[in-house]
Amino acid sequence: MSQSPHVLTVTDEWKKPRPSIDEDNAEFWEALTQHKLLVWKCKTCGEVYWPKSYCKNHENEPFAEECEWVEASGRGKLFAFNIHHWAFHPGFKEEVPYYYALIELDEGPLISSQLVGDVMPPNIHTVGQTVEIVYEDHPNEGFTLPKFRIIDG
Amino acid sequence: MAKHPSSGKYAIVGLGVVAGPQPGRSERMIAAEAARLAMEDAGLTRDDIDGAIDLRRSGGGGDRASYSDPFTRVLGLKNNYYFTCGRGGALAGLGMAAAMSFIDRGISNHVMLMGAVTDWSQAQESRKKGFRGMAHTEKRGYWGKPLGDSRAVSHHSWMAARHMAVYGTTSPQLGAISVAQRQWACMNPEAKMYGRPMTIEDHQNSPWVVEPYHLFDMSQVSDGGVAFILTTAERARDLRRDPVYVIGQGFSEVSADLWWEKKNFTHMAVEPAKTQAFGQADVTLEDVDCAQFYDCFTGEVLFQIEDYGWCKKGEGGAFVEDGNMAPGGTIPINTSGGLLSCYHLGDLTGLAESVRQIRGECGERQIEDCEVVLTTGHGGELVSPGMCSIHTCTLLGKHA
Repeated sequence: MSQSPHVLTVTDEWKKPRPSIDEDNAEFWEALTQHKLLVWKCKTCGEVYWPKSYCKNHENEPFAEECEWVEASGRGKLFAFNIHHWAFHPGFKEEVPYYYALIELDEGPLISSQLVGDVMPPNIHTVGQTVEIVYEDHPNEGFTLPKFRIIDG
Repeated sequence: MAKHPSSGKYAIVGLGVVAGPQPGRSERMIAAEAARLAMEDAGLTRDDIDGAIDLRRSGGGGDRASYSDPFTRVLGLKNNYYFTCGRGGALAGLGMAAAMSFIDRGISNHVMLMGAVTDWSQAQESRKKGFRGMAHTEKRGYWGKPLGDSRAVSHHSWMAARHMAVYGTTSPQLGAISVAQRQWACMNPEAKMYGRPMTIEDHQNSPWVVEPYHLFDMSQVSDGGVAFILTTAERARDLRRDPVYVIGQGFSEVSADLWWEKKNFTHMAVEPAKTQAFGQADVTLEDVDCAQFYDCFTGEVLFQIEDYGWCKKGEGGAFVEDGNMAPGGTIPINTSGGLLSCYHLGDLTGLAESVRQIRGECGERQIEDCEVVLTTGHGGELVSPGMCSIHTCTLLGKHA
């Protein structure tokens, strides 16, 4: 496993469930492999969504007509988290306990992923730390997972 | 305010329960047997049942009860229609709303509603393959699977976690919910945890599964089935059992605003459903003799106590710690033991207990002069990254 500040490259055999990629999120997953985190933005009012949605601020607007994927900052705040002590799927046996977190992106939407890195929140009551995306590349599998690390811990 | 014309117009007249592990029995046979017991209870025969609704915990968690041969054929019912209905843990409430519409339009006189699962038996099998919990319900297609979002507890536990972060709620306070429900279960011979008392220390010493949830914050995996029969109030008065009237029903959705406002991690979509149901029945919280809340995890119980208004938002922890929901408390909650300590048959667990409390069949745990019971359901899709769920609110009454 090689490591740079924002990218992890993992070449181990993938034994976990694969990402669920469909028509609505293919672009999002493709952008991750290029180390870009996309969010869905309304060109009219600037409201930001994730995942893809109709803009709730406008009536009778055909889907995606006035919205587009834009690159997000990749930063946000820790909103809530849990610590998985059980591996429900055998693929996670080597990983427990792991931190699975809700991140409130600076652009607004919530996204969830695992926390990585050396700094973990001290207790369940302590949230609001600044986090930053870490792109976990799986070149043998053809996808990149967005994970997050605490940078102001 | 006055009652809505629909309040008290329909009644539950038969109840059938198959509880406990059912190894070697198919879901359809459990289903058919629960339905037969409901007919026997009501004093009705196959010829009387002219509609059937199969209550399924489908939705975000997966289509877990799927068999091609309906229980109605197995049992030999002569119903005019049969279909499946349900969304996660919201089945009985939704099924009743559909059934009442069929009765109202003269399409049926007696509708059989039934839900059955073999989750416990199937979980024993998946354990042998290295999985834990209900691997058979896994659905492809949601966001977090490769990131370790493996089970309902993977994301439901954020609700407790966020509540703890915002309001300072503690794990022993959640434990008070689990302990109260175990106290109730110890008065219910049908409960899985009957005869197995639990203390806060036991709760705290139970393993972390997904912190902030200990093992004892989580509902059980069960086998079994619950069936009940709905008919008109008029017809109900001629039947064997005292009618249990449907006096109010309401529904609301997290995706209406809580999801967008990110409040779905500290609130449930109770308000519109409560307003509808309590308005129809023309009752207030003070009229409710006991509540049977959907309790997939302790956090959901805490949220509903606050969201219905038994205490203020954020004060649920202290409220349960003071014993308010336990035997002898101000508002008895989940008096069968609930999904945590009785059995997990979706909102049918609470529905069955509600019927029994109103009939006065609950023995040691019977609530005195029980006339109005609140029972809820909860369930939906796992949307990235949270949940969109329905909340169903049903009020049952001893009087029309």
